[in-house]
Amino acid sequence: MAEAEKPLTLDQRLSLVSFTKDPEPFIVVNTELCHKCEKKPCLYICPAQVYTWQDQLNYNIEGCLETGACLIVCHKIGAKAIQWKYPSGGKGVSFKQG
Amino acid sequence: MGERGKEELDRNRINHSLDSPPETELSLEGFEVAVVGAGPAGSAAALTLAREGVQVLLLERGPFPGSKNVFGGRIYSYAVKRLMGERWKEAPVERFVRKEGITFTTSDSAFSIEYESRDPQFSFTAIRAKFDKWLAEQAEKAGTQLVSEVRVDDLTVENGQVKGIVAGGDKIPTDAVIACDGTTTGLARRAGLVTMLEPHEISMGIKDVIELSSDRIEERFGLNPGEGAAHVFVGDCTGGLRGGGFLYTNRESVALGLVAGADDVSLRKVLSPSLMEKLKTHPRVQRLIRGGRTIEYDAHMIPEAGPGMLSRPFTGGMLVAGDAAGHLLNSGYTFRGVDMAIGAGIAAAQTILEARKKRDYSARSLQVYERKLREEPSLKDMYTFRRVPAYLRNKRLYDTYPELICAAAEAVYRVDGTGKRKIFRELRAQTKGRVSTLRLIRDLLSGARTF
Repeated sequence: MAEAEKPLTLDQRLSLVSFTKDPEPFIVVNTELCHKCEKKPCLYICPAQVYTWQDQLNYNIEGCLETGACLIVCHKIGAKAIQWKYPSGGKGVSFKQG
Repeated sequence: MGERGKEELDRNRINHSLDSPPETELSLEGFEVAVVGAGPAGSAAALTLAREGVQVLLLERGPFPGSKNVFGGRIYSYAVKRLMGERWKEAPVERFVRKEGITFTTSDSAFSIEYESRDPQFSFTAIRAKFDKWLAEQAEKAGTQLVSEVRVDDLTVENGQVKGIVAGGDKIPTDAVIACDGTTTGLARRAGLVTMLEPHEISMGIKDVIELSSDRIEERFGLNPGEGAAHVFVGDCTGGLRGGGFLYTNRESVALGLVAGADDVSLRKVLSPSLMEKLKTHPRVQRLIRGGRTIEYDAHMIPEAGPGMLSRPFTGGMLVAGDAAGHLLNSGYTFRGVDMAIGAGIAAAQTILEARKKRDYSARSLQVYERKLREEPSLKDMYTFRRVPAYLRNKRLYDTYPELICAAAEAVYRVDGTGKRKIFRELRAQTKGRVSTLRLIRDLLSGARTF
C-alpha cells in the first residue's frame, strides 16, 4: 500500500517554489508601530510566514508569494505598518503549476 | 523615455523575442491600448482587440504569462470556446471533469455527495503556468505585442482622464488602458475606483500540487482515461473556518487546497499554512493522495466582494476586468474565475472598439462597459448570485451543519442492535443542542432565496 507523504514544513513547501531575488525592498514595515499592534494579523494570514514575532516584528521578504493579503489585514485590523507592492518586473515568485 | 528604463524594457523585449524572428528595435510608444496583466482577462482583451487591428501592448510583470497566477484548478469551457471558436481544443487541458462532489467533514467522519456528468466537456482542469501562457500566445499570434517582466507602477492622469501608464520610470502614452492587474489592483486604486477591501471581503487560497500517476488518479476517483474529478470539502478539514477545501485532478497530479476567510484566519489566530496540513491529513482526503509527492505550494488572495468591489469598473480612458474588478463567483459548490475573467476581457475589448470608432475614450463613452457586463449571460451570474458572499459568511455552514449532517448520517446508517428511530425523528433528535429548529429553517429559507 502506498505510504502517506510525511507532513511538510513550511520551509519544505517554500523550497518547492522558485524565487528570483529583488534587490529593491518591495515590502517595508515600520516595525515600531507593531509593538502597539494588538492583533498582529500579518503573522497569521501570510501563507509564507514572511512575518514572525520575536521581541519585535521580523520579516523576510524572500519567500513572499505575493498575495497582498498582509497589506489589507495590517491596514484594516493591524497597525497600518506595512508598505507593500509587487516586486520589480521579472522578480519574486514564479510558479510552474499555479 | 529615461535611459535606464529604456534599457530595462529593451532587454525584456529581446528576451521575449528569442523564439520569434528578430525585430527591429521597438518603442513602447505608439500603442493605442495598454493591457496590464497577461492573465485570462488581459489576454482575452488583447486578443479581441488585436483581431480588429488595434495596436495592443500587453504587459506582464512575471517572467512569462501564468508565472504569477494561481487558482484552484478548473476552467469552464464555454468561455474558451467563445474566445477561440473551434481552436479552443488546442488549449492545454489537463482533464475534462466527469465527477463533481462535495464532502461535509467532522474530524473523523465524512458525508459525500457525488454527481457524474453526462458530458465532461463542460469544464476542464488546467495548470495556470501552461494555460495562461497559451492564451497569451494566442493574443500574440493575433498581433498583440506582449512584454513580460515589466511592472506597471502608475497611471498618467490628466483632468481625470487616464492617458497612459508608467513603467520602469517611463511614461507610456496610450489612448486607453485595460487594467487586469489582479486582486490587489494598484491601477483601480490609483484611479480612485476602489479603496482597500475589508478582511471579510477577501479569502486566502493555498494549495499543494501533489504528483500522482494517471493510473492511480483514474482508479481512486473511478474515472475513464483523460477524465477528471472536482471536489469540495466543508467543515472540520478547514478547522471550521469560513471557507472550504477543494481538490482537482490534473493529468498526473492532484491540486489540493483550501480557501479561508482572511478575517477568520487573522482574528482566530490560525497560521494559514497550517491549514494545508490539516486538510491533507484528514482521513477522507488522505486516502485520495496517498503515495503522492508534493511538487509545488501555491497561494493566492481571492476577492469575495463581487463586482461591487469597485465603485464602477471604468473611468475616463480606463476599464478594469478580471480579479481586479471582482469578476468571479464562489457559490460554495462551484468556483468560477477564469471564465468570468475571459468574458469580462472580451466585454472590455468590445467597449474599447466602440469607443475607438467614435474616437472618444471619455468615461461617458466607456460607461457602456458596465451594461455589457450585466447583460452578458455568463457574467450576469455574478449579479444573480450577488447575495451569496453574505450568505456564505454564516458561521454555522462551517461547523454546526457539517457536524449535523455527519451525525444524522451516522444515526441513519448505524445498525448496532440497540433499536432505531424513524429517520425524521432521528434527524430532529440530532438537531437538538446544535441549532434551534427556527434558526435551521431560517438558514434553509434564506439559502433558497440566495441560490
